[in-house]
Amino acid sequence: MRATILATVILATVGAFAVESPRAQSAPDRAKVIRAAADALGMAKWSDIGTATTRLPGIDIVNTMEFRGSGTSDSAGRAVKTEYHVALGYNPAAMRVEMIRTGADGGAAQHTIQTVRDTYAWDESEIGAGMVPGKGTATPANAALKERLLQLWTLPYGVVKAALAAGDKTMVSTEGGATVITFPLSGSLAGITVKATLDSNSLITRVETRADNPALASLATQTEYSSYSDRAEVLTDVKTPGRIVRKQGGRTILDIEVKTWESNNPYLVFPVPANVKATAPANSR
Amino acid sequence: MRGSGRIIAAAAASCLLTAAVLAQEPARRTNNAPPKPSGATPRTADGHPDLSGVWNGLGDNLNGVPNQIANNGVIIESETSARDLHSGQTIAVFPRNTTRGQNNEQAERAAALLRRSGSNRPLYKPEYWEMVKNLDHNSNEEDPSNNCMPAGVPRGGIPSYISQHGNHVMFIYPGQGGLIATQTMYRMIPLDGRKHTPLQDLDGTFTGESIARWEGDTLVVDSWGFTPNTWFDQIGGYFHGENMHVIERFRRDGNTLTWTATVEDPDVLLEPWTTTPRVALLNPRADSLLPESQPCSERDLSHLVTKEHH
Repeated sequence: MRATILATVILATVGAFAVESPRAQSAPDRAKVIRAAADALGMAKWSDIGTATTRLPGIDIVNTMEFRGSGTSDSAGRAVKTEYHVALGYNPAAMRVEMIRTGADGGAAQHTIQTVRDTYAWDESEIGAGMVPGKGTATPANAALKERLLQLWTLPYGVVKAALAAGDKTMVSTEGGATVITFPLSGSLAGITVKATLDSNSLITRVETRADNPALASLATQTEYSSYSDRAEVLTDVKTPGRIVRKQGGRTILDIEVKTWESNNPYLVFPVPANVKATAPANSR
Repeated sequence: MRGSGRIIAAAAASCLLTAAVLAQEPARRTNNAPPKPSGATPRTADGHPDLSGVWNGLGDNLNGVPNQIANNGVIIESETSARDLHSGQTIAVFPRNTTRGQNNEQAERAAALLRRSGSNRPLYKPEYWEMVKNLDHNSNEEDPSNNCMPAGVPRGGIPSYISQHGNHVMFIYPGQGGLIATQTMYRMIPLDGRKHTPLQDLDGTFTGESIARWEGDTLVVDSWGFTPNTWFDQIGGYFHGENMHVIERFRRDGNTLTWTATVEDPDVLLEPWTTTPRVALLNPRADSLLPESQPCSERDLSHLVTKEHH
């Protein structure tokens, strides 16, 4: 019975992606669409301050970001009140998700810190746990590696970076009048395909993931981003979403109203504790 | 007929004028890759490389965004290629798609991001992570060099002038007025084999107690005895304690000078941190002089109404 449900979910997901298969795009078309998405987010920057006789092209300036919001998240099938705090980086690829959930059992608030970097995933009892003896505990969470990395790469900035990295494998198409970018992820997320939908301003408003392998079916998600603006205290002209809604199997697992989103490459670090490195699978080391 | 002849003549003149203007347009560098060395490395009578000279050949060592991006470890090699030196990661390049210039606000915001996009960041103890982030976030008020104070070591980077003598070297770092207000700084560094004064006997200063030695062809400058009232890099809120120890390495190759600094401060850092190597170019004019520094006067701070910063 469970296998039947799983197969149905996979077929439904694959079906959703197959409604309108992407047509092959020439490289200029693909580059133009991705560039438009990068520009809409404010990822491409150059500056002529003090440049003398140098005139550099723009580069992707998104590395570290931090955002805070509140809303609900799924806890054993129930939506519970959640304070949501995310620190992330793309160089190296890393993310720390801190959640304080209240009302799950009517009891005390649940405080979790879930961290990932490259091929390591771990839980922290406090931010930076496990780096200094006696300061918190870092617990390896290798089984959660893909799910955590996927959250990073399905953020709008991760989509643009990963679409560029996928090169010729990235396809551009039109669905219902909207531009769609489809590409496979690689590395630890090989076997996952991402489909991103752009609005008329080239902002990424919907990101769907599909797993080629039934074993990765739990990684099939749909995330909606809306209400974009520059909501950082240090203004950067980088557009960030004001609301994030993530669904899995049709059920909402996260619904967050963003309060602040610092996009000025703040000091955020994600060192891997020694005990996490020691317990990671052999192919991670 | 005469009219069309005038039009053709005018068009031809216009083309010639345009060509002349284009010919006068200086060639613009489209990368911030370190300069390639050329020429021989001069040596002093004792056989060591002679580092003496005016090291401002790139023209925009302190204020220029291209060099600050490179200092941050992001090398833009061409219109299509960029990478992070520290991590090796490829950085996407987006050719300029507009000829419209940026206004000051756009240029400053972009510069602030560009200067911080590299991955080579010192690793502080976790209890200081929030503090470092907040110092950078509020750098308009918190940056100790913003109010006409010396940049300190190693934040000063490569000196614009080096004078090398038998038993000491002299470094000069011209101050900057205007937007980045810092004070002129100099260092007279013994090269005579002496030992450091015990740290507890030193009063902390901006440049600390520096002692130089040769390791092969590399000049190593070892410093301690600092005041904690400096940051150790140009951006980032990278504060330090009074026990900071800095090891700088200078290596001359022809007309280039490569510099790195390693910061050790076990009070606040989990591990020593080494800057991305910086390369300065010798001023090509043998008779070049350092200009007088502008008087330093901080007048902007009281007028700032946002947290946007350099």
